[in-house]
Amino acid sequence: MIELIAALQPLVVGAVLLWSARVKLLSRHAAATVDRSALVRLVGHSRALPAYRLLGGFELTLGGLLLLPPAQPWEAVAAAALAAGFLGYLGYARRVAPTSSCGCLSTQTAPVSGRSLGRAGLLIAAAGLAASAGGGWFTALTARPTGGTVVLLVELAAVVALSPELDRNWLLPLRQLRMRITHPLRGTSGVPLLATVQQLQRSDAYRQVSPLLRSDVREHWDDDGWRFVGHAARYQGRPATAVFAVPLADPEPTSVRVAVVDEATGQTLISLAGAPPAAGPHLTVVPA
Amino acid sequence: MVALRGEVSWFCCGSAWGPCGTAGGGACGTCRSANYQHAWPNTSDACLAITRPDACGVTGMSRRGCGFRHYTTNLCNGARVGTTIADCGPQTDLFCGERTCCGSACGSNRIIDLTPAAYSAIASLTTGLRPCSVDTV
Amino acid sequence: MNQTLDRRRLLATAALGGMVGATGLGSLAPDAAFAAEASAIEPGLPDPNFAEGRISKISGNMLLVTGSDTVLHSIRVTDGTSIWKLRPTTFDRVATGDGLYARGVRLPDGTLAADSVWVNIVNVHGHITSVGRNVLHLDHKGQRIVAHVVPQVSAAVYNGAPAVSDLSLLRVGRHVQVLGAWHPDTNEIDIATVYAAA
Repeated sequence: MIELIAALQPLVVGAVLLWSARVKLLSRHAAATVDRSALVRLVGHSRALPAYRLLGGFELTLGGLLLLPPAQPWEAVAAAALAAGFLGYLGYARRVAPTSSCGCLSTQTAPVSGRSLGRAGLLIAAAGLAASAGGGWFTALTARPTGGTVVLLVELAAVVALSPELDRNWLLPLRQLRMRITHPLRGTSGVPLLATVQQLQRSDAYRQVSPLLRSDVREHWDDDGWRFVGHAARYQGRPATAVFAVPLADPEPTSVRVAVVDEATGQTLISLAGAPPAAGPHLTVVPA
Repeated sequence: MVALRGEVSWFCCGSAWGPCGTAGGGACGTCRSANYQHAWPNTSDACLAITRPDACGVTGMSRRGCGFRHYTTNLCNGARVGTTIADCGPQTDLFCGERTCCGSACGSNRIIDLTPAAYSAIASLTTGLRPCSVDTV
Repeated sequence: MNQTLDRRRLLATAALGGMVGATGLGSLAPDAAFAAEASAIEPGLPDPNFAEGRISKISGNMLLVTGSDTVLHSIRVTDGTSIWKLRPTTFDRVATGDGLYARGVRLPDGTLAADSVWVNIVNVHGHITSVGRNVLHLDHKGQRIVAHVVPQVSAAVYNGAPAVSDLSLLRVGRHVQVLGAWHPDTNEIDIATVYAAA
């Protein structure tokens, strides 16, 4: 079995290298991908894209040699050295530019993670095994097609699972499907405080008293269809509270009302109304 | 520069507590949450490749380097603050077409991120997002 | 409690004064009050009327805060100070170890008399990598963040529309901005608002 696995490794490593070369050589977004990678830090901005393309050319050549007969051990040794170089680069990227993107197998932004390092390690192991292989991958595959296919599928799955930049193609759709089935974020009801704050901040009442406001929302409460929102304020040097009344059922900013009340005496200093009273619900209040 | 209308948000930077928008001092190495500073989407080619305001049709966003001054006005209350560039951002293309309004004053697309000190001078941190105009004088 | 209710009734009466027959007492010229002066602080420099850091001690109505740049701040909280910790809350909910941003007036003795204090507030961007029961897992520049939905508090803003309580339109793979309250020294936050491109 180990001979079969070893014999198939040139195919696995070659395919990964060709895929990687395709991204580096043919993608229209290669320049943007490079800008997001740590290559800019490593070789400088002006040399990053040529270096990226050069690496792609090297991957293309080596991948082609691995896939095409005759099988030569030095090809696998070169691939192992390249994968070791990847591992070193990813370690460097993670240390000096942790938010940079890998730029490896996709133009999708994917920061260097433990999975990316694991994939480079897998490639080193695969290339090392390939160096010990006795014959070509095609002969081994035709001799044992079922076992060979299983080995290839398992390795392909491992490479994909260790590639964060490919999550978008398989993992996220799976999670989206699970979300559609389980509805984990069932909608709740009620008017969030932010909606009230947005409404009152769109109102003329707010525009007029906003220079007096000293604090963010200090308190809020609901009563009889109204939401009241209090801010600390200062009016003519006196500490005051600006209290906005916002109808919960009427989203129009014109229905927002405000009063500025003296903190010490409870006297209303300013009172501004928006729409006529009929626009909002009625609250039974007793004048103080 | 003609005043540019859009949306403003805030981000933390420097050696700040909690999960932060920018690790360390930002792209310019000088960013601190308590300073009047901001992130600008067009500080370099590398920055523009990430933020991509052009993908949302935002034009007139000049190339400006670290330390350049912009003045941001909150269109909800008229409050205004002057800040200097200390980082690259926001990532405009992730919210293409987003629109925030206060009455008839609206801003589309994210064009600037302020530090908490600067944002809280013109709006409450809890609002998270405001329509704004940005100019240089 | 009765004092709070009485106060709220007084404020509600004042706000709805026009509906119970009271007339507007004072007024502001609509645009005269609408100031547009830039802050006097020099761009690029620290704002003396702002402070940030972690609370190292709470003493009476004072918060002793160690700034991220190791500068110490004394922040005085009064009845007029707004305190946010996922929602508008009271001083007794603030704890040692919490992070904060505060804005107010710097007094001659160096104390910051706070007008507004935002405790543990964070504003992060990320991709939703998975969704569990009332929880979002976010990828924030390679860092994993667990964001909890808090019933009756968490809200969503879809494409700039007015905030709603319904978070069910969020999708795995989408980019979001989450404004929330950090659980100190963890990678977890409680969601106040999720901003999502629809």
